[in-house]
Amino acid sequence: MPRLALTGTASFLGGRLLRRLVAERGADAVLAVDIAPPPTTLQGVRHRMLDLTLPGADRRLVELFREEDVDTVFHAAFFTTPRRDTSYAHELESIGTLHLAAAAAAAGVRHLVLRSFTAVYGARGQNPSFLTEDKRPDSGSRLAWVRDKAEAEEHAFSFSRRYPGLGVTVLRFATLLGPGVHSFYTRLLSKRAVAVLLGYDPLLQLLHPDDALEAAMLALAQGPSQVVNVVPRTPLTLLTALHLADKVTLPVPHPVAYPLAELWWGTGVGEAPAGFLDYARFPFVADGAKARRTLGFEPRYTSRQALEAFLAYRYPETRRPAAAEPEPAEAGAGEIGA
Amino acid sequence: MSDTAKVVPIGRGRRPARRPRVKTEPGVLERRVDELERELRAERQAKRGDSLLVALARAVSSGAGALDWASLGRLQRALYFAWHSEETDAYGADARFGEALEPFFEFLYAMWWRVEATGTENVPARGAGLVVANHSGVLPYDGLMLQLAIKHEHPARRLCRMLALDMFALLPVLAPLLSKSGSVRASPENAERLLREGELLGVFPEGVKGIGKRYRERYKLARFGRGGFVRVALRTGTPIVPCAIVGAEEIHPVVGKADWLGRPFGLPYFPLTPTFPWLGPLGLLPLPTKWSIDFGEPIDLREHGPEGAEDPILVNRIAESVRETIQKMVDGRLARRRSVWFG
Repeated sequence: MPRLALTGTASFLGGRLLRRLVAERGADAVLAVDIAPPPTTLQGVRHRMLDLTLPGADRRLVELFREEDVDTVFHAAFFTTPRRDTSYAHELESIGTLHLAAAAAAAGVRHLVLRSFTAVYGARGQNPSFLTEDKRPDSGSRLAWVRDKAEAEEHAFSFSRRYPGLGVTVLRFATLLGPGVHSFYTRLLSKRAVAVLLGYDPLLQLLHPDDALEAAMLALAQGPSQVVNVVPRTPLTLLTALHLADKVTLPVPHPVAYPLAELWWGTGVGEAPAGFLDYARFPFVADGAKARRTLGFEPRYTSRQALEAFLAYRYPETRRPAAAEPEPAEAGAGEIGA
Repeated sequence: MSDTAKVVPIGRGRRPARRPRVKTEPGVLERRVDELERELRAERQAKRGDSLLVALARAVSSGAGALDWASLGRLQRALYFAWHSEETDAYGADARFGEALEPFFEFLYAMWWRVEATGTENVPARGAGLVVANHSGVLPYDGLMLQLAIKHEHPARRLCRMLALDMFALLPVLAPLLSKSGSVRASPENAERLLREGELLGVFPEGVKGIGKRYRERYKLARFGRGGFVRVALRTGTPIVPCAIVGAEEIHPVVGKADWLGRPFGLPYFPLTPTFPWLGPLGLLPLPTKWSIDFGEPIDLREHGPEGAEDPILVNRIAESVRETIQKMVDGRLARRRSVWFG
């Protein structure tokens, strides 16, 4: 039986997906490819240790895919949190995907699924209210974090064009937030006071991990379907999110905030480079209509429910988890934004 | 009422096929709806005021010594949710925000500019509609007033979503203010999406050329963009409602421009008026002119079909004819106007 290879199993989404796949298809149907072994609680999972950044990675991947009879690859080895070591991130995300796509094409893999981010559209004042999949990613972004992901998508598509046997799905997930998520967003949400830009309050989309997992499973079942946005049912504004979390907000005028954030990041204190301020300034809300149409994916949680689920996980002593349960009665109302 | 209730037969298990209906005068229902709405609003306001007061009182009674991050956070939360709701719609429109600012805008509408709206019956009560108006007045007050005119003087009380210029979507304070009051950024994607959802849209095709024009060019409509609004209307088969706004040109008479001053702040223009920037923030006070907002007969474009959108000559011709219609409406109003301040 052909197997499914999963990279980035040490990441949050990759790890959750590995568990789900093992539970549904059995340990023998899945192959974990990562530099770190999967958790010992998952017994019998086949694991191949491989560093995507090494020069010979593509050759080793071809061998590996042939040996293990892999026909589907889910590539989840991406950084959610920006790294100071941008050259390593570039090697892993952009070049690593290049290796992976080349190997997948050479080994006759049918379906390559890429984990991506709605943030690759870039946050701009000129964005339409709903970004659709035909909008190109912001490859000229000032953030290396965004450029690497845009390049990775481009590599996957260029191999798909050259080798028609290789189908590609790029899942652009909205910002993940929920139980178990650890990223720089959750670190910001764990502080007592958060700096915001004075006079800006953009809409955010916060995706519950359960929804993200569901969409990933549907995409694997569906087959190649190009770019698909995976977004929650409704968005909420940044300040609403921060105030629901009882944070103190410190408004900073934006002409001052950018240099300050750059300094903060440069000195090693800040959580993210200054380019991320754009994401607290302008909206980058993506449209989930294609996921519904092609994958049949219906998000269960709103952004607010994802936030509340996270808060209940992060502050179990003060937050009631009951509020975070999705209400089936609500389905059907207000899912325009999803 | 009591004499109709007397003769209901019991037994048989069947209701009389027709119940005698109480005839009401036309105004009664509307008045009742108004009353109920006012009550609801007062109730909500009382509740909101309460929670805010409680939060403030708690902060005061605990004293400055006991002030910590958590209580500060709770206080900020109460302050924020006093005028924002916890959920917005998919485009970011916030019902409570609109309600909270309404007294201020209503003051501007009824007392400051004494807006006189005519022809509101031309705005469709149901389904998609595209209100096209002339733009003026440096700051987008005309859009907010147009929104209020439709909300208050149209029987369906519809929310008219304005398509905001790019520059307003970039500016601090103004960007969230516009998006929370129901505006979206002016782009063909947004417009088409909203019209297909059957929303009422308002658009100022003159764009920056209209809003920042000099005083001596007042009430001369600038070129209507590249006809994008016509293309969207053709594609979706939406009627265009021409609208003339008179009075907004004089609220901030632009006597000169110093665009080089605005450039570092990302402003596309920097107007010099008799009061701004000489009087500082006081110069931002708009002059109390008398406004009128006239809605003209809707223009039905369905005869051209959606494929008409691909014909640039047709699109330009329609855009030009809409511009002329609005120019005529403006000129007619100006000819009848005797005073800038009293109409």
